[in-house]
Amino acid sequence: MAVATRAGGPVTPSERRPGEGFNWTALAFMAPAALLLLIFLVFPAIYTLVLSFNRGRGGQITEWVGFTNFINLFTNDPNFLRLGFPPAGALWNNVLWLVFYTFLSVSLGLLIAVMATRVRYEAIVKAIVFLPMAIAATAIGVIWSFVYFPNANTGLLNAILGIGGVGPAAFLGSTDTVNWAIIAVGVWGSVGFCTVILSAALKGISTEVLEAARVDGASERAIFFRIIIPMISLPISVVSVTLIVNVIKLFDLPYVMTRGGPGASSRTIAFSMYQEAFPSGRFGYGAAIAIVMLLLLIPVLIYNVRRFRSDRVTA
Amino acid sequence: MTKFRLIAPLAVLMLVLTACPAGDTGSSPGGDGSAPAGTDGGGDGGTGAEGDGSIVVTSLWGGTEEEAFQAVLDAFTESTGIEAEYEANRTDYATVLRTRIQGGNPPDVAIIPGIGTLRSLAREGALISLSDLGIDQASIEGNYAPGILDVGVVDGELYGIMVKLNSKATIWYSPERFDEMGVAPAEDWDGLLALTEDIKAAGAVPWSLGAGDGWTLTDWFEIVYLKMNGTEAYDTLFSPDGDWTDPTVQAAIDKMLEVLNEENVDGGVDGASATAFVDAIAKVFSTAPSAELYYGGGFVGGIATGVDVNPELQGQEGTAINWFPFPTIDGNGEGLVTYGGDVMAALVNDSDVKAFMEYLTTAEAGQVWAEGGTIISPIVAVDTSVYPTTLIQAEADQVTSAEAVRFDGSDLLPGVDLGAVLQAAFRGEDAGPLLEEFQAAVTTAWAEE
Repeated sequence: MAVATRAGGPVTPSERRPGEGFNWTALAFMAPAALLLLIFLVFPAIYTLVLSFNRGRGGQITEWVGFTNFINLFTNDPNFLRLGFPPAGALWNNVLWLVFYTFLSVSLGLLIAVMATRVRYEAIVKAIVFLPMAIAATAIGVIWSFVYFPNANTGLLNAILGIGGVGPAAFLGSTDTVNWAIIAVGVWGSVGFCTVILSAALKGISTEVLEAARVDGASERAIFFRIIIPMISLPISVVSVTLIVNVIKLFDLPYVMTRGGPGASSRTIAFSMYQEAFPSGRFGYGAAIAIVMLLLLIPVLIYNVRRFRSDRVTA
Repeated sequence: MTKFRLIAPLAVLMLVLTACPAGDTGSSPGGDGSAPAGTDGGGDGGTGAEGDGSIVVTSLWGGTEEEAFQAVLDAFTESTGIEAEYEANRTDYATVLRTRIQGGNPPDVAIIPGIGTLRSLAREGALISLSDLGIDQASIEGNYAPGILDVGVVDGELYGIMVKLNSKATIWYSPERFDEMGVAPAEDWDGLLALTEDIKAAGAVPWSLGAGDGWTLTDWFEIVYLKMNGTEAYDTLFSPDGDWTDPTVQAAIDKMLEVLNEENVDGGVDGASATAFVDAIAKVFSTAPSAELYYGGGFVGGIATGVDVNPELQGQEGTAINWFPFPTIDGNGEGLVTYGGDVMAALVNDSDVKAFMEYLTTAEAGQVWAEGGTIISPIVAVDTSVYPTTLIQAEADQVTSAEAVRFDGSDLLPGVDLGAVLQAAFRGEDAGPLLEEFQAAVTTAWAEE
């Protein structure tokens, strides 16, 4: 390395100061990565942005339509957003996912993590809860489609309901239940992830702190809310942000389980993008949805980058 | 030396990366309909390049439908010496087709999934019109019943040839079980309602419905609308001038919901909403049936007697499985039939493709296909006696002797989902506001086409 820089460039990188000339060596080292990023990330993103202002016949730039795609998306597409009570559409479904999936996954994960540390068979509990993480999301979708199946001979859940004398319910066939049914599957698939991360964080809390609190007479409740939660707030936010990103790009479960149906009632933003761009061939419209998705992701990304920076300073 | 060690891999990488896109643009088909295959890349009007002696045809048919089509391809190879390879994509067909087109690697010939897709692909320049292939429309027109070829016309140019069709005016039932219950097929709407009640009175569930697939409901709507309002209103509704807020639309929905409701449908509204169409067919024709009537296209017969449902029914056509014509409604709609069909279009312009498209318009091809027993051939010269079962012979008779036939309307609409509106109405939502929304969406979609 040192040999290469001395022979190849006029400056030694470690001693370089502003205004001392351009660092060609650094550029040479960065070029492959930068080039790949340009080709596979920056160019498609820009192309998508351009496409979103175009009709995009056949995925090509054909006819400029200004903001028409975006205006239609928010005012003229009940499958994407229907205001009213209750609201509906892909965007609203993502809000439901964001709130319930994230909250339930994290809180159940935390609950299991805290309870598991207090039992002797902790490893077994965690292994079982973590198991869904080893299953591909498509497989999870297929498995749960069977569980939800209306016919009690196939559908486990309806078989159980049948024992209780409750008639078979079409969880995925009714607009009232379909989103909740799929969110429950998402939670089932993510609790393990939350449990493992949060349980590792719990192990990181030194026992002295907890013992000191107990000696001072703090109740278990107070210890949990006043000591444990604040001390693992960073891992909690890491887990939450990961889940939020998962939600915004969520595609697999609705695709496998319902194809966005019945009707369009379980579409998510990402599913709408796929549906409009590929099977329907409205690439410009699909690109507009992709841009909306990108805009929703940006705040999360900014938050992530900021936290990453501050971590490096404090930790 | 050290300098070279640093630069060489980079240079190689640069070369590779810059070379790839350049090579691609060199051979890409572009958007103007010229042919990617073919050695000299011709394709500006007239006939295309000389073919390489083989073609690839894609569609979404599988099972018995695929076998029947394979027989057509084999007959084509035998008669012309051109190899024809079949590729099936049973799920996500439109996605795969569009991706192949965009990637510059379209199949030579493809079944086009829906007329809306045909229009958009034709306008994108992805399809080769028959005149560009060098096939004269006038010369093949006489092979078809009037109006059949028009379905494949976009902006005055014929792009897609109707290759197979099915009646969508057939209600399926089991004559044996009807005899046991002491009921008989209905001839008018009131008779159908009475039949529904009689089946319930006999302790059975009258209707099976696969409302999980929205198109099963659009089929229902189309036949009911056509029977109630006639051909002229039907043509207008499914054209850019259609008014979905017109009271006739609501009336047709109300009419179909007289039959399709919580009391009459197996599993109730929720159960039917979660049922796909093959499962719904199985509810009537499996070895453990749970319902008595299924409305669906003529293809139901092939599916019910196929491996997906109950192959034991083969040979029992007419006794264990049969259909009766969709009844008239308030005395209207006698002899009116809706039908669904598939059009095939060329995506590459060469002599092999031309030969194949021409072959598909011949009575020979129609006959080979018809013998497979899964389709009705749109070619008039195909004699109904070649159809292997009485069910499909009767279906062919129904279509050929109909007073008027109309193509599946929702297939004519541009990318909007009529099925979703009907699914919501079936679940009990007020169709009025939904139809207003739909009207706005369909107006935009027609304008954007």
